[in-house]
Amino acid sequence: MAPPPSYTISPLAVLPGHTERAWHIAWNPTRPLLASCSADKTVRMYAYTPACKFTHVSTIATGHTKAVRALAWALSGRTLATASFDSNIGVWEQEPNGEADGEGTEGGEWECASQLEGHETECKSVAYSSTGTLLASCSRDKTVWIWEVHPDADFECMGVLMDHSQDVKCVVWHPTEEILASASYDDTIKLYIDDPSDDWFCFATLTGHTSTVWSLAFSPDGRYLASGSDDRTVRVWKRVSAQELRWECVLVLDGHERSVYSVSWSVGVAEEGNKSLGWLASTGGDGAIRVWAFSEPEGEEMAGSSIAPPEHRLIASIGSAHGVYDVNAVAWCPRDGHTDLLASAGDDGATRVWRVGVA
Amino acid sequence: MAFSGALTLTDLNDFITPSQACIKPVEQLNPNKPEEKDPGAAATEIQIDRSGAYYEVTQESKSITNGTPAPAKKLEQAQINLNDCLACSGCITSAESVLITLQSHTEVLTFLEENEKNRGRIPVISSTPDVAPVAESYKVPVISIAPQSLASLAAAVAASPSTSTSEHPTPLQIMRRIRAFCVEVLGFECVFDTTFARHIALQEHIAEFEERWRAATEGGSDVASTGTGAGDSAKGLPMLASACPGWICYAEKAHAEMLPFISRTKSPQQVMGTLVKNWMGARWGKLPNEIYHVTVMMCYDKKLEASRTDFYSDIYSTRDVDCVITTGELELLMKEKSWDITQPVPGELDLIEPPLTSRGAFDPFGNLKSTAPRTISTSTDVKSLKTEVAPIHFPELLTHPGTSSGSYLHAIIAHLQATSPVPLALRVQTVRGADYEEFMLSKDTGTSGEEGEVVFKGAKCYGFRNLQNVVRRVGRERGVRTTSGAAGRLGGRAGAGGGVAARLRRRAAEGKEEKKERAYDYVEVMACPGGCVNGGGQLKPVIAPADASPAPTPPPPPPVVDEEGYKRDWEGSGVAMTLPPTTNGTGVVDVTQNARWGSKEWTRRVEEEYWRIPFIEVENRLADGLTGRIYDDLCGFGDEIERAETRRRYFRTEYRAVENEVIGLAVVW
Repeated sequence: MAPPPSYTISPLAVLPGHTERAWHIAWNPTRPLLASCSADKTVRMYAYTPACKFTHVSTIATGHTKAVRALAWALSGRTLATASFDSNIGVWEQEPNGEADGEGTEGGEWECASQLEGHETECKSVAYSSTGTLLASCSRDKTVWIWEVHPDADFECMGVLMDHSQDVKCVVWHPTEEILASASYDDTIKLYIDDPSDDWFCFATLTGHTSTVWSLAFSPDGRYLASGSDDRTVRVWKRVSAQELRWECVLVLDGHERSVYSVSWSVGVAEEGNKSLGWLASTGGDGAIRVWAFSEPEGEEMAGSSIAPPEHRLIASIGSAHGVYDVNAVAWCPRDGHTDLLASAGDDGATRVWRVGVA
Repeated sequence: MAFSGALTLTDLNDFITPSQACIKPVEQLNPNKPEEKDPGAAATEIQIDRSGAYYEVTQESKSITNGTPAPAKKLEQAQINLNDCLACSGCITSAESVLITLQSHTEVLTFLEENEKNRGRIPVISSTPDVAPVAESYKVPVISIAPQSLASLAAAVAASPSTSTSEHPTPLQIMRRIRAFCVEVLGFECVFDTTFARHIALQEHIAEFEERWRAATEGGSDVASTGTGAGDSAKGLPMLASACPGWICYAEKAHAEMLPFISRTKSPQQVMGTLVKNWMGARWGKLPNEIYHVTVMMCYDKKLEASRTDFYSDIYSTRDVDCVITTGELELLMKEKSWDITQPVPGELDLIEPPLTSRGAFDPFGNLKSTAPRTISTSTDVKSLKTEVAPIHFPELLTHPGTSSGSYLHAIIAHLQATSPVPLALRVQTVRGADYEEFMLSKDTGTSGEEGEVVFKGAKCYGFRNLQNVVRRVGRERGVRTTSGAAGRLGGRAGAGGGVAARLRRRAAEGKEEKKERAYDYVEVMACPGGCVNGGGQLKPVIAPADASPAPTPPPPPPVVDEEGYKRDWEGSGVAMTLPPTTNGTGVVDVTQNARWGSKEWTRRVEEEYWRIPFIEVENRLADGLTGRIYDDLCGFGDEIERAETRRRYFRTEYRAVENEVIGLAVVW
């Protein structure tokens, strides 16, 4: 067997502009657009060419009175949601720019189409479900809210979940099913589904982290969930079987020297010959970005075991990604042909774009 | 912040929880703070003595060891009372368990014990009501019980193993048993239920709806201004129900823009407070502060409601309701006093008792038993006291068809149907489950299958989730927005003439040529899913009577302890339970849903019990007569304006937005 290829994380672009720390970034799923948000209350949009040349195209002065903590694009790529410490969720759409509602990256002004109130204190995260019909948000008020997305930027509250005992840091949706996961300062991860005859409810609590869980990411096939924690580890949880709603911790990844603030899991660039489960990027207070490649467990007996950990290999890492500053978020680009692009946001206010490729 | 016992047992998924931190300590100012001195001047430190009192000691004086101890200044301890809680924006909720102890069943017992010592010191029935109140004088203890609490107790009795399921007692029987307990064991003079107070509240509610309706139709689309809570801020439709204190508290703290729409009519509890302290008091020759009024409620937030300044009399330094205990606390009282609620009391099956032969609690007017020997035969406790006022029968357990949360919406619908010049047909439409339904009244066209003009649209909306949507909807329909912080600014952009939202709305209007839907005229809002029968103060579910003791307190499931030591009663809160690893996994969802089903099933049973309150025609007829008489008694026979003004004072209240500025002050990211 050939030795596994070695990879590097090489810088592609440095996108300064925020006057305070950059909290989060989000790649538009359909258009060549990258959005970043910051404690300076703005959202910045960058367009990129097929050759990955990034240019700043617009800035939304959101009107949020406190930091914009997180971003999420709707499936269509036409709507962006912002989660702010001012306790509100903003929903933004672009004015058509005279020309055909188009593929153009330019387009008109981004306008607030709707806002979702309800959280009592700082919103920490926001996420659209895979079908785009649901929006979830979470807050320091310990609650997770689920909203149904209606036409014309209207929303209906579907549930207020009060299962966490502390600040909820992150919400993510399962890539194919309507399963919601949340991570909290109470060290736990909670999973929720909709009871068709009733309301949304928490069906599982994943315990194991010994400190705040900051970030979550489902694997692209939805069978695994990665969590990054203040305990400096990344845990990987596996669904016991497709029929069941039980998840077990199968892997604990060490390596980060400080809190893990963000994880992102994407299809990566598949290697030949193994059943790839994609690439997981993690970052945090140590300023490092680490990338693991995952594949199906090898061997007869392991493959048969429902809780066999996936094969995993640290394929690349880089330190001081934002100089001496903390890195708050990493995100893989979801668009075909660009799945090797990774963006990061740091306390230096900058957004950086990286390419992970064979050395 | 832990929930108090009973609250954790119901379907927490949809309750309003306390916020992360009470802001009160942040706001606390130290009145004893010494003058600022030069830098480098003596520092002070805080010492705590054995009794827990705090002292401020200057280090300078401490260091001088000349024999005299340093002058230690005793510091005030920060105290938080229910009123602080109401005025605070730190929490959205109200169910702080610490504060609840201020209005607890032990508080009731302590009072009754002390009060008993004062019995006889002062003539019980004062013939001169003008006499200034004497401190520590005997107070007439009165207790009023909510019908939802009776339903909860009835359901628990039905589920207890010592009760045959075929013939379990009705809420009326439960009422009689509780009355016997409260009179014989606790020493209450009078035991009422709150349904007659609700009867009055419903009349007032209808009157207020008519006022708003008239104003809205005459004055065009009179949109309420985002009121400040000042005098005439109550206006506009829809009118939103006001009986749920959880909703009121939430609206005052989080949705000030809704306050103008909230009905000013007092809740049944507070109407009962007015009746007991003012009307009955006057008949008994008692000042408001010579009566101690306890209510038994389905809801912890009723404690906060009773604590509102609006229901406090400065003149008499007394509240309309002195103490509120929950259904669970009443049950605890009975257990502590070894009273078996499953056992019948004599006469409990009588539908109605003749006024003069009823027990003191039942017909108290002029018949206070306090001067009678303390030997009570509960069935025929004929009071032989001389009566100065003609006895009045106080109606018992009135029924109001509609919802188990008070039938506010149905009372208005029935009124509209009864007073409409043309027949009105009612159509009910489910929006989301039984907790969110719309009720449309339309002019009867005479032809089946054809709906006439919709003249009224109401909704019943229970639970925090549905409440969110109603608030959003009413805000949209009536063009009011929250004015707080960024919400206002974002909203301003979203709602302004330009912008995506406005354009989207225009597009929708043009595209669909949609029939303009009628906006809500009335919404019966309750914060609890399932409404008041599922209130936070109700008894725990008794689902499996097989191994349960008569008292419905199944052993709590082993608490799940997480890494930081947070204990959570997952099963009890009706949410997820972690299965033991040995369990075959397919059971996970089932078990989870069983737990959830359990609490829903229990609510259904309590609801069923609620509707077993028998309809007694004569009671309802008496109620209407008495209502008019009470208006006359309380409001006098002055001119119309004067009467109306007095009536408002007795039966209506006000709301105030709680400013939300402190949030985030002490937050470190």
